[in-house]
Amino acid sequence: MDNTRIIKKVLYLFVTAIFAGFIFAGSACQAKQEFIVGFDAEFPPYGYMDENGDYTGFDLDLAEEVCKRKGWSLVKRPIKWDFKDSELDSGSISCLWNGFTMNGREGEYTWSTPYVDNSQVVITSSSSGIKGLKDLSGKIMAVQADSSALAALEGEDATDENKALAKSLKELQQVDDYNSAFMNLESGMVDAIAMDIGVASYQLSSKSDKFIMLDERLATEKYGIGFKSGNTELRDEVQLTLFEMLEDGTFEKIASKWGLQDSVCLSLEDTTYIDGSKVPVPGGDSADSGEVKQEDTGSTDNNSVIKADVPKVKKLSITQIIKQLSSGLAATVAIFVLTILFSMPLGLVIAAARMSKFKVIQWIAKIYISIMRGTPLMLQLIVVFFAPFYIFEVSTPYSYRFYAVIIGFSLNYAAYFAEIYRSGIQSIPQGQREAAQIMGYNRSQTFFRIIFPQMVKRVLPPVTNEVITLVKDTSLAFALSYAEMFTKAKQIAAAQTSLVPLFVAGVFYYIFNFIVAFIMERIEKRLDYYK
Amino acid sequence: MNVLEINNIRKSFGSKVVLEDITLKVEKGEVVSIIGPSGSGKSTLLRCATFLEHIDNGEISYIGKKIVGKGAVYPSKKELQQACANFGLVFQNFNLFPHFSVLKNISDAPIVIQKRDKEEVYKETRELLKKVGIEDKENAYPCELSGGQQQRVAIARALALHPQMLYFDEPTSALDPEITAEILRVLKSLAAEKMTMVIVTHEIDFARAVSDRVVFMDGGVIIEEGKPEDVIDNPENERTKAFLKKLHV
Repeated sequence: MDNTRIIKKVLYLFVTAIFAGFIFAGSACQAKQEFIVGFDAEFPPYGYMDENGDYTGFDLDLAEEVCKRKGWSLVKRPIKWDFKDSELDSGSISCLWNGFTMNGREGEYTWSTPYVDNSQVVITSSSSGIKGLKDLSGKIMAVQADSSALAALEGEDATDENKALAKSLKELQQVDDYNSAFMNLESGMVDAIAMDIGVASYQLSSKSDKFIMLDERLATEKYGIGFKSGNTELRDEVQLTLFEMLEDGTFEKIASKWGLQDSVCLSLEDTTYIDGSKVPVPGGDSADSGEVKQEDTGSTDNNSVIKADVPKVKKLSITQIIKQLSSGLAATVAIFVLTILFSMPLGLVIAAARMSKFKVIQWIAKIYISIMRGTPLMLQLIVVFFAPFYIFEVSTPYSYRFYAVIIGFSLNYAAYFAEIYRSGIQSIPQGQREAAQIMGYNRSQTFFRIIFPQMVKRVLPPVTNEVITLVKDTSLAFALSYAEMFTKAKQIAAAQTSLVPLFVAGVFYYIFNFIVAFIMERIEKRLDYYK
Repeated sequence: MNVLEINNIRKSFGSKVVLEDITLKVEKGEVVSIIGPSGSGKSTLLRCATFLEHIDNGEISYIGKKIVGKGAVYPSKKELQQACANFGLVFQNFNLFPHFSVLKNISDAPIVIQKRDKEEVYKETRELLKKVGIEDKENAYPCELSGGQQQRVAIARALALHPQMLYFDEPTSALDPEITAEILRVLKSLAAEKMTMVIVTHEIDFARAVSDRVVFMDGGVIIEEGKPEDVIDNPENERTKAFLKKLHV
């Protein structure tokens, strides 16, 4: 029945949460040069999450080998594909290396020489009766947003045949990732998917009885590694290392591991970049070549690792899925706890500003609340993440992604909490303040001893609502590719070509919320000692 | 010496004049009842005297010290807050703090604001509870008490701060008649101890029973004042007569 005891407990929780947050946020400092590869983690076999929850794939293996030889530390950074340019420009990734089509994007990046010859193909279900591209007329076709398949069909450089094909379709449905495209196809919501042959082969390896690949190709194109426009120095270093790998056979071995030996096209003769400049002659820098030799001796070691067979989709058991999701769950809990920790007090400050005597402050608070409640949270997260670069032209460090999530969520939830607090404060009878005034309580004593404790009780039900919404809203962190539980679940779902991981994530959210609701109910009961 | 001295105060809400040139002096140990019909301005007078409303003109002094100067010049917030220590106010609807126990409602301000010794305050609180007749309720919360019991807590809470005088705003309007009698007993015992009190009420019997002086207000002005037996039983002014007649006194 003692307020201070509850407050102490809550404080204790908060402090623990702050430390947890610092541990999460502070684990990123490293002395070695970082090579940060941006990739779409739902794009097997180039980059995806394997059955152990690690990011893997042909491109990531190549990057790993390059880093090994250069003495860099590789950071695999899954990104939301729509934001690849912003990620690259802001310096939060070093390059885009993920089955990245050069065609049509020639001038937009500083490219390596092409290393994979890729085609855009069409997948349909085996029972659909679609045998060729001409059968697609009047059908619905799915394609990933901002992908080269989409560009091949509707882009500026699309061939007339492809444009005609796109026109003949009933609809060209843009989807977020290929896993959902295949689910659409499987359930009959779409009739065909246009996509890269490499990814298509991977998906078909697990579902070859259900789907077929049309023989006709939409387009043939090449994959390269995309660097920020003008970053030729890094590009040349990676290029030369790739050539080394090609010379000593490592490149071929990695390609075979992923079943891509027929698609790769990296060639030592191809020494002119797409922008017309030449690949520099290796060995110009003696320190560099020495380092390379040193790494060479160790490369027999690598070969043994790379001997593995072409990966097939290994079905994960529920326990394995749960195990993999738990790492995402920790991130989800961190977002949740830190957001609560910052947004609740901030809400109080905004509520105070909203009720200020000064019209200017009052209006600022009003506008703030109106914007935060009136625009999508996902958009706010994107703005917070990219604003430092686009507005202030500051490159953001690795850890900023996490901070951006927390800042975005806290700013948004603070607006909602502010309005809840305000309604709570205003619902307390004026007589309480008058009694306090006459008894000699000053303003802050009146607020903290008389008004605030009563407000807490009154706002508890609406606050519980917000808190429960927050648990589910944490999944919006996927907009910034922050690896919380839902992002992980989507990645596992893509690698597994199955919906089960998403359902498991759903169960996790439910349990999380069940616990939150239980705790809030306990607090409410605790405060039930007065009416 | 006058505990309270109000000179020529004026108060209006917008264009509506609520108090017009009111002058009222209350001596130490005196019990004054302010009576009058609804809207006569008696509650506003009390709210102005306790600084809950700011006056438009006039002056207010406590114990000979001018708090609100001529022409309604208010002191700093801090000084005004300190001036509040001169009086206590028992509200019509009590305004107890619902999240505090009875003990804490009474002892919190003496401990937190007057920074008095905790044990001493608790001891005094228990004596006050005994005095108002609810010594067994110190651990109860306001919501668990009857109206009469809440009223007594409110009185004890005001007394705990050792004020020079007490204001009561319609102390019996929310209570049953038999409880009114009990509150009257409490007030009488306070009067016997020479506590200065100003009571706003529309219960004539209550006013007659407890006061040394009755002030009749109507339309924002003091119409008549004097001993209860004069004002209530032999009113001179027509408006006083009309008001009392309506109440069948």
